[in-house]
Amino acid sequence: MNPKGVVARVLRNRFVMVPLVLTVVVGAWNAYIALHSDGIVQGRVVTTDGAPVAGANVHIMEQNFTTNSERGKVVTGADGQFLISDNRSHNIQLRADKAGMGRSEQQVVRLFFRAQNVTLDAPLVLPAAPH
Amino acid sequence: MSVRRRPGVAPARRYPHWPIHIALLLVSFCMLVPFYWVLKTSLTGENIFVYPPSLWPVEPHLFYYVDVWYYIPFARYLLNSVMVSGLAIAANVVFNAMAAYALTKHFRGRGLIITLLLSCMMIPFQTTIVPAYLITGKLGLLNSYFGLALPTFSTIVCIFVYKASFDAVPRSLIDAARIDGLSQLQIIMKIMIPLSTSAVATNVILSFIWSWNNFLWPLIVVRDPQMQTLPLGLSRFLTYHENTTGALYAFCIMVLLPGIVLFLLAQKEFIRGLTSGATKG
Repeated sequence: MNPKGVVARVLRNRFVMVPLVLTVVVGAWNAYIALHSDGIVQGRVVTTDGAPVAGANVHIMEQNFTTNSERGKVVTGADGQFLISDNRSHNIQLRADKAGMGRSEQQVVRLFFRAQNVTLDAPLVLPAAPH
Repeated sequence: MSVRRRPGVAPARRYPHWPIHIALLLVSFCMLVPFYWVLKTSLTGENIFVYPPSLWPVEPHLFYYVDVWYYIPFARYLLNSVMVSGLAIAANVVFNAMAAYALTKHFRGRGLIITLLLSCMMIPFQTTIVPAYLITGKLGLLNSYFGLALPTFSTIVCIFVYKASFDAVPRSLIDAARIDGLSQLQIIMKIMIPLSTSAVATNVILSFIWSWNNFLWPLIVVRDPQMQTLPLGLSRFLTYHENTTGALYAFCIMVLLPGIVLFLLAQKEFIRGLTSGATKG
């Protein structure tokens, strides 16, 4: 039997094929994680009528089984955008507040791996419009 | 096409298959529903006592699996379980084959040894756990992979699975091997085991499942949290926060998955191994 035939026969064996496929999948997943785990969380803070809020504080909290501790905060820019660059968790909560405008509801953000880069679909909404 | 019936031979009665199929479907349903329920709860985290229960998962997601991976050292537990199971499988395949080969020989006291082995199967492990612990301690194997795998190095059921398979190997083949100059060990490794792949698969699956699911022995032998196996990790997991239903079920699925994959891979050989020798007189 020629060597190519032997290799093809070995590869077709389910005891070889299944671990091989699993190894490839796990390797690809780990490569994806390595390329997308900078800890960046992006989003927007708006008012109830959708106007961006500049200068709002956005707090990031790390959720654990037993604790929910604050990790830090950032301030939104003129367009209401914020960027957190040092998230290290896979389960965080975000909350925005600004003096005179109250605070937003706490938004739970679940990630598929630690420090996953993510852009929030829904903005954080402050209840009161600026005076 | 007409079928000619031989005179004096009664026609074979053909029974309908559908009652058997319905019975099999019902049994399969009863067996698989708990697995489905565990899987569904792991994806939704819903309260298992809610009434009426929802049959289909509502808003399923995989985040409970992520929680399990990160909140506890799951990868470490997995490695420990794999190491212990690997040792148990290797030892079972080799030692059981040796014991079974010896039992295929005719020697004085063979019947007594077989009786002793069969009677030992009726002694629960819990009753021998103290001497097993003391022996493991004397050997200096507490809190080690070898110590964790030691009691599962050989199992009597698997010895008899091998024996049934070895008994089916023609005597003339072994005699020919001996004439060719093979030692007893070489006969086992080069003749008996290659001709008993089903028995090997049965040994692999059974020893894997028993060592993988072993809880009591690791609980006693392990002192370092870094040496805990998955069943111990599961019990440790239960001591966490109360709101862990989804993550707990996700953990169960992650513990079950390797065993299910291994069984599905080798089920044909496994069933053949268990049933080989079953029809002998």
